[in-house]
Amino acid sequence: MSERRLAVGLRVFWYLLLAFLYAPLAVVVFFSFNAINSSARFGGFSLTWYEQLFSNDAIIGALVNTVALALTSSLIAIVIGGMLGYGFYRYRLRRLSWLIWLIYLPMVMPDIIFGIAEMIFFIAIDERLGILAPGLGTMIIAHVTFQVPFVALLVNARLLGLDPQLFEAAQDLYASPWQRARFFLLPVLVPAIVSSFLLALTLSIDDFVISFFTAGPESTTLPIYIWSAIRKGVTPEVNAIATLMIASVFVVAVISLLAQRRPNASSTPNRSASS
Amino acid sequence: MADPAVGGPRTESAIQVHAATKSFERGVRAVDAVDLDVEAGEFFTLLGPSGCGKTTLLRLLAGLEQPDSGRITIGGRVMDGVPPHRRSVNTVFQSYALFPHRNVRRNIGFGLEMQAVAAAQIDARVRRIAELIGIDDLLDREIAQLSGGQRQRVALARAIVNEPDVLLLDEPLSALDADLRGRLQLELKRLQRQLGMTFVFVTHDQEEAMVMSDRMAVLDAGRIAQVGTPDAIYESPAALFVARFMGHQNFVPIHGRDAHGVDTPLGRLEGVFGAGDQLLLRPETIRLDDEAKTTPNRFEAVVEERLYRGGTTEYRLACESVRLLASRANRGQPAHQVGDRIHVGVSPRGTTTLTD
Amino acid sequence: MSGLRRDTRYLLATTAPGVFFIVVFLVLPSAYLVGMAFLSNGSYGLPTGPLTLDAFRELAGFGFLGWSPGNLYTLIRSVWQSLLATAIVIVIAYPAAYTISRQPVRWRAVMLLAVVVPSWTNQVIRSVGWMNIFAPDTVVSELAVRIGLTEAQMGLFPSQFAVIVGLVYNFLPFMVLPLYAAFERLDIEQVEAARDLFASPVAVFRHAVFPQTLPGLMAGTVLVAIPAFGMYVVTELLGGGKATMIGNLVARQFVQASNWPLGAAGAIIMIVVTLVGLKVLRDLGRRVGGDREVLL
Repeated sequence: MSERRLAVGLRVFWYLLLAFLYAPLAVVVFFSFNAINSSARFGGFSLTWYEQLFSNDAIIGALVNTVALALTSSLIAIVIGGMLGYGFYRYRLRRLSWLIWLIYLPMVMPDIIFGIAEMIFFIAIDERLGILAPGLGTMIIAHVTFQVPFVALLVNARLLGLDPQLFEAAQDLYASPWQRARFFLLPVLVPAIVSSFLLALTLSIDDFVISFFTAGPESTTLPIYIWSAIRKGVTPEVNAIATLMIASVFVVAVISLLAQRRPNASSTPNRSASS
Repeated sequence: MADPAVGGPRTESAIQVHAATKSFERGVRAVDAVDLDVEAGEFFTLLGPSGCGKTTLLRLLAGLEQPDSGRITIGGRVMDGVPPHRRSVNTVFQSYALFPHRNVRRNIGFGLEMQAVAAAQIDARVRRIAELIGIDDLLDREIAQLSGGQRQRVALARAIVNEPDVLLLDEPLSALDADLRGRLQLELKRLQRQLGMTFVFVTHDQEEAMVMSDRMAVLDAGRIAQVGTPDAIYESPAALFVARFMGHQNFVPIHGRDAHGVDTPLGRLEGVFGAGDQLLLRPETIRLDDEAKTTPNRFEAVVEERLYRGGTTEYRLACESVRLLASRANRGQPAHQVGDRIHVGVSPRGTTTLTD
Repeated sequence: MSGLRRDTRYLLATTAPGVFFIVVFLVLPSAYLVGMAFLSNGSYGLPTGPLTLDAFRELAGFGFLGWSPGNLYTLIRSVWQSLLATAIVIVIAYPAAYTISRQPVRWRAVMLLAVVVPSWTNQVIRSVGWMNIFAPDTVVSELAVRIGLTEAQMGLFPSQFAVIVGLVYNFLPFMVLPLYAAFERLDIEQVEAARDLFASPVAVFRHAVFPQTLPGLMAGTVLVAIPAFGMYVVTELLGGGKATMIGNLVARQFVQASNWPLGAAGAIIMIVVTLVGLKVLRDLGRRVGGDREVLL
């Protein structure tokens, strides 16, 4: 097969792939503007479903819960996970291999098992101790538990990429332990902390299964709402909510693309022959 | 013995190391009962092969490691248990260790910032040192944009701006290519003299050590083999290890001796030679051709290899079953080719004897 | 030395909260779940004493009416569907990763993002999208009826076909990324050497390209096959009852309150398969990729 034909073939393949990847999302967006209540025939452009969304208290409540859950859990996760990642890095010369398995555990556990285990655990505790009844609190705890490993690994990876002599240089330059943390460690870790925060947010908003099993009657999130709604069949209302969620994902995607581009502008190395 | 008090008067020595020992895992002694005195204002080099303990010794001075036993005194102050951030010592690290999240200006000013120096003062001092070292046009650049040589200078500025009692340099030039290295060697030497600051420099390159140092110490497996000026160490090495490390290659065993000379595989050598059973002949002291006539011991040798080095030419010679390396400055003498028989002369002046 | 003890306290202080969370809120609940498998099925499906292995017997198919293979079919179907989906994902991801790696550098980030962004949406939403496409009366379904894939008015979902499509859709990005990373690191000189030594394009791929991408392939398989095995949402939404996997079986025991110990027994199977699968793939990955740690 000639180079040219291969290139053309791959190009066609690529566009087909993109079509495959975006068809479901496009369909959801498309039918959310459907004037009639159908996902098979398009009856004209309309915003009625969006209007209904904003007057639907249940949906607004679910939205608030989703955002609150994501923000709270992510904030807690970057603190706990950041500390864990730092501790793991700082003491990497000791025999801590058991710790890495513990960190991996939430990442490899199937989410259905994770969710069910949390559910029965919280129910048992609620029965015996009267605390941790299923609700936003239990959801936050469950989310933090699966977010922490991601944060820890990201922070650890960033630290591993540092020249170890930097830590010594800071000491050599009169920085006390507190000053080292404030003027060296934290500034260097800021990008890692920001990306792990965004990652944690994404993981939380994307989660359905774990939220479903740890939710209480008042703590429905958008994914749970959608799930209950589509048991009765896909409606344009569901498509409208889904479209809004897809739109927010796209916004994050664009932001991350721009964030990747910007640092490149200023860090072109300026090599001069003599120095 | 009275301890020099903290905050007491500065003594003549900038650094005093007394019986310092440091071991790591499995009892390997990286530094083994080392005694050292470095005078204020001198350019002192620690020289040795990798693993000899020179870097560990430097880290003991910096406070990045604490000695298992022994005592270190810097600027008249005893350094027992004193952490790096409380020592008036600064280090230029081998990998430069510049903070990636700060630009050049804020890297240089880091130490001053940590010492709570006033912002205006920091600004002035940073600018002054940058001019001195020749990087004042780089102050607002990001570290990622700098070349190797530029980074090295920033690392230097960052250390010097704090006006420490002692500046430690851990093989700062080893990552640079030869041409840049040569230039920076001279600049560093000039800078040290200008500042009058005590420099302790670590390297494994004996030529670099000789070019830059006022005095140097050769280390071998955690111990100091010899301390002295570059001339003294090169011309009169105290031990075989030192001689070999300084690049010497002509070792001739001495079988026997009497009042007038010594017996060697080369033959009998007339003259007064030092005690010891190995004779060290420095290549530049072996006389060739006509000059051999000025020496008391003359031989014939066959040229095995000719190494032209521009300013000098080296000849590998086979002389009476002994292999010798001779070197002479190129002043227009006709060159010898491989296979030539030439006259060679050895005089006791300029030789050293060592014991194995 | 007091320094050492201070060090240890520091270590504990930084790692303790994270460890606490994972141990108390994952290890403990999992242990509880595992233990539940050995209890009896009480009223409303809740577990009571005495200890028994009934749950496992039920899982193996031994119910009131004798032995039925339903549960075993579910288990086999889980393995089969996840492997099938993985295979399809590999077939699609290879050319995709290759295509991206051949583009000029400034395009690659965008292209990778384009592949990955759909996976940033919620699983439920992704399945909703396919539900829209595969519903009866849609263009795609009509086409399928025309070809004879399905009967009229039925739509392409719920069905095993829809589930496979959903699985492939969900996990495709997780294979593309590691494969792309492998292609990026490709030693082009090996490829040129193969060409220089008279190898045909197919042989070049087989001997010079494919072996170098194996570590990426292994990493991708870990990220696809194992989560696919434990899938719940896709099978529930797109499969109806027709493509039940073990995740659905387990969930059903808890959600419809029929038999918690049975669910727990199923959960143990899932956990075991997950851990064994990880270990096997990781060792294979090590053996294949030399000493390059790809992901785990």
